[in-house]
Amino acid sequence: MERSYAVEIVYRGIFQKNLAKNIARGIVLAARREGKVGIAFGRYGDSPERNGIPAKQFAIVAPNEEILQESMAQYEPKEVDVTIVLDDTLCKGVESWAWYGLQPINKLLKPGGTLIVTSLLEPDELIKFIHRKPYEYNLAIVKGAASFSGLWVYKDDHTDVRVLGAVARVAPEMVSLGSIQQMILREWKNELKATSAEKSYSRITMRKVLPHEGNPEEPYSFVLPRWYEMREGIAIPAIPVGGKYNEEGGFAATPNPYFKKFSTRTMRPVVDFDKCVKCTLCWLQCPDTCYNVTPDGYYDVNLDTCCGCGVCEAVCPVDGCITMIHETNFTDHKSQWKMWKQDKQAYAKWVDELRRSRPPRSHGFQYRGQYEKELASIAEER
Amino acid sequence: MDVPETVVLEQEQEEEALISGSEAIAVACKLADVDVITAYPIRPYDTVMQYVAKLVANGELDCEYIVAESEHSQFEIVKHAAAVGARVFCGSSGVGWMYAFEALTVTPALRLPVVAMVGNRALDDPGAFGVEHNDALAVRDLGWMLVWVDTAQEALDTALIAWRVAEDRRVFLPCAIGCDGAFLTHSQSLVRIPPKSKVQKFLPRYDRGDLLLHPDNPITIAPQVNEDWLMEIRKQTDEAMRRAKGVIEEAYRDFENTFGRVYGNPFFEEYQTEDAEVVLVGMGTLSMPVKVAVRQMRQKGKKVGFVRIRWFRPMATQELQACLSRFKAVGVIDRDFSLGSPYMSGVLANDIRSVLYSASARPAVVGFICGLGGREVTVPDVRQMVEILEKAASGEPVEPTYWIGLRE
Amino acid sequence: MSTQTQVLEPFKGVKKVPLEEYFTAGHRTCQGCESALVMKLMVKAAGPRTIVLGSTGCMYVANTTYYSTSWVVPWMHTQLGSSGSAALGTAAGLKALMRKGKIKEEPINVIAFCGDGGGADMGLSAISAALTHSEYNFLILLYDNESYANTDIQVSGLTPWGAHTTFSPPGSMRRILHRRWKKNVAGMLAAGHPECRYVATVCASYAVDMMNKVRKALSIGGPTFIHSIDPCPKGWDYDPMLSHELGELAVLTGVWPLYEVENGVLKLYGKTKAIAEGRQKRLPVREYLLRQGRFAHFTDEDIEYFQSKIDEMWEKWLIPGVIPFRKELEKELEKEE
Repeated sequence: MERSYAVEIVYRGIFQKNLAKNIARGIVLAARREGKVGIAFGRYGDSPERNGIPAKQFAIVAPNEEILQESMAQYEPKEVDVTIVLDDTLCKGVESWAWYGLQPINKLLKPGGTLIVTSLLEPDELIKFIHRKPYEYNLAIVKGAASFSGLWVYKDDHTDVRVLGAVARVAPEMVSLGSIQQMILREWKNELKATSAEKSYSRITMRKVLPHEGNPEEPYSFVLPRWYEMREGIAIPAIPVGGKYNEEGGFAATPNPYFKKFSTRTMRPVVDFDKCVKCTLCWLQCPDTCYNVTPDGYYDVNLDTCCGCGVCEAVCPVDGCITMIHETNFTDHKSQWKMWKQDKQAYAKWVDELRRSRPPRSHGFQYRGQYEKELASIAEER
Repeated sequence: MDVPETVVLEQEQEEEALISGSEAIAVACKLADVDVITAYPIRPYDTVMQYVAKLVANGELDCEYIVAESEHSQFEIVKHAAAVGARVFCGSSGVGWMYAFEALTVTPALRLPVVAMVGNRALDDPGAFGVEHNDALAVRDLGWMLVWVDTAQEALDTALIAWRVAEDRRVFLPCAIGCDGAFLTHSQSLVRIPPKSKVQKFLPRYDRGDLLLHPDNPITIAPQVNEDWLMEIRKQTDEAMRRAKGVIEEAYRDFENTFGRVYGNPFFEEYQTEDAEVVLVGMGTLSMPVKVAVRQMRQKGKKVGFVRIRWFRPMATQELQACLSRFKAVGVIDRDFSLGSPYMSGVLANDIRSVLYSASARPAVVGFICGLGGREVTVPDVRQMVEILEKAASGEPVEPTYWIGLRE
Repeated sequence: MSTQTQVLEPFKGVKKVPLEEYFTAGHRTCQGCESALVMKLMVKAAGPRTIVLGSTGCMYVANTTYYSTSWVVPWMHTQLGSSGSAALGTAAGLKALMRKGKIKEEPINVIAFCGDGGGADMGLSAISAALTHSEYNFLILLYDNESYANTDIQVSGLTPWGAHTTFSPPGSMRRILHRRWKKNVAGMLAAGHPECRYVATVCASYAVDMMNKVRKALSIGGPTFIHSIDPCPKGWDYDPMLSHELGELAVLTGVWPLYEVENGVLKLYGKTKAIAEGRQKRLPVREYLLRQGRFAHFTDEDIEYFQSKIDEMWEKWLIPGVIPFRKELEKELEKEE
């Protein structure tokens, strides 16, 4: 290996912090087995992490200290050889809490580089979410649902080593499967994990992505003003108070125009307006002020701002009125209330289908012993 | 110049009073119609608040007078009062000023014109009441304007000028007035007190414009920033400090026209420097013994002068360079210390060296650490400094820094 | 005159809650952040003629990233320990300017908020001082997510006994590193500041109650204090959708008593009242603790200890949930038993 290799790991803040850390460290420690040097670091600006809000960690590996120094970065590298995506909903793009605008998931990926995604979807289903690149790159899928746990209790479902196995497959010059397995035995002292890495190495699905493939949209970007264009006294204008939902009335809050938050979402609430009893709880209890009030007194979620926490589903007193549905089922932010108004039969049918594809809730800790149960079922599947 | 033929009313008359420097600043608060004042006891500055309390109790000063539970709160309270458009006054001394340090650091970037009096006092440990300048000097890099005065009269006048400059939209920076403990805060002298009507003419209403925190002007102030923003915000504060210099000059010209008291160069006072070969530079009340010594030595034919710095921040770099580069040797008297700094000098000496660095003719610069902890700077002390300066002027080798008045 | 306050009648039921939002979408808090909900409800209750001062913490850093804000009402940052001084200074400035006719006479709500670190640790002295200045009108709201959550979850004076934080990890030698019991802040401030006309504890899971406490605090005048318990999905380690439920559990297990002290009169309210009057049984704390990853290392002994402390609060305190000490007489009687 003559040059340095950069790997970025894009993950869900807090939920996957320990997972991403294991992978970044794993790459460097495994490469070390081959006499290479490297660094692993989290993007400083993502800290303090907010749960669900996209964050990044990086691993940089080089043949020697001099070449390593050339590739070091304070915040993030300019380009990477491998981008690891630990939750496939991140393929829609990431909006970091300390940055402005949406970053395509493959923004830093070099020509010919590889995007590794943990997902249950097929390549073609994923590619439609991913912003286009002017050049060719590879997509590799590690089959599996996103692994979420919390800050204190780690769900050891082997996602870390399965991703590391995939890394050895797509960038063997950087680190070999053998070194990955040595590292696993040394760090985790766990044969089973070493085997998982090997399985994943042989099982990942690969596919080239061509320049014309993917989402053609230009993501929202933000231009920083000059110092004399900024108001003095560190003052910025407040958000204007909202107004009517439409000419007939209701109320729509004005959202912060510079931070949308939807890229934090892995599931979105789908409202069955035919079931709604207008109890107001979703609207009142939403920490993100996402529910707008329609003229006829329903509550329509603003999908630019909803971060998918699921509180509305939890507080809704009517069974099946609000259902959290995995974000990969959607490609737009259309108003659900407007869809419903347009064609209630069609809407009911749509909601019914979505509800059938309702995924299990995966957002971390719910009760003691939960992860042990989940791991048992995962073991059966494999 | 032609004198306008206006009838001078009774209430337009100046009054004379025998008051201390602290009392003079309390009187300035009354004349400036300050809105919010916060107090917390620590010697020697607290004497100003004792006078303020009397004025409030007697209905002579209409303000919210709040006795805080710490210096930190004292400065946070006036900071926030200033944000909603109130004219404020505050102050402290020594470790009290340091206890408020967090509040002091955030005020300049918020562009809040807090005016404070620092009754200069040595920092603990050990506890000491006497004057040292290290307390006020601690904020010298943070965007506070710093001015030192040497008489009760100058204290009163400078307080009025401080509000005028700090509350100028082009500036909007806090200003601290350095008053030497004991010598200025506790000794009374004759002071001319201007009539309120003239002060109102000199001191316009504090108008925060689009930076006002009020429901009629909904803004968010001081949101969190990252590396994309902070340099730009620092630059804005830097520009404000650059503009302050011109605004200070403007204010002094206006002050002279309004009150007839003439300070000349606002930034520093020159004393018998015309034909001087060596000069001493210093700040605050040490000017008295130095001036006496200069007069005595001139009678003996020594070509010695004195430069008293008023405005330490912003520093009048060009003016000081033009002035000091005329001499053969410059002795800087520091009533402070900057341990481990270049030449182990004081804060002022290091700044003066840097002022002179780009001068075509560079005089020898000698630092004198003197009068710490309230010890008097005596005439013999000054004579000793001048002797060293004369050596330096004639090219003889001298130390870069001397401790004067130290028992050895 | 400027000593007047806005008359804010209680919202009579959820249908009467106004539609307008003064803390809006697009803040950068965690999924299911209960403190963000508290901010929303707080200003919804206060209305547009309000100034909010926010001390350093999650609700500062996450809600306002420069050029970007979620506040509709005027908002200003204050230092970590300065919520008391910020409220006092703002109220004093407005009062002086109005009295002197320098600005229009009108009652403007002043609210300063702080987290548990800024309120119960560093800022306690300034809050205590502020609550003695009865001539000024302002509300100090403490949003208590039970750790320094913004700096990545460190122990504060309000972190529950035994909780896992980055400053109190369970180790192989010491399972429980954090052995201090949570301060009783609302009780302390109510008892210690006889001139303070209103102190309340709230939980945003009971949104209308919570908003009405804010409205009462602002209407009653003088310096007032509200302490809100805010489940924190990040620091407590639970699925964000459970924020609402954990708030309820804190109340139903008796860990978080809901009460208000209005002009010196103590009133329990909501489920706490039902529990105190025996109309509802306290749930075991186990149901609350084991829903949270921060207590996942607890043994049954730890849970029993926690339960015994809560029982003590309800059965032994002079005023359950409010005043922790007992009368000597009662103690002697116990000895005789």
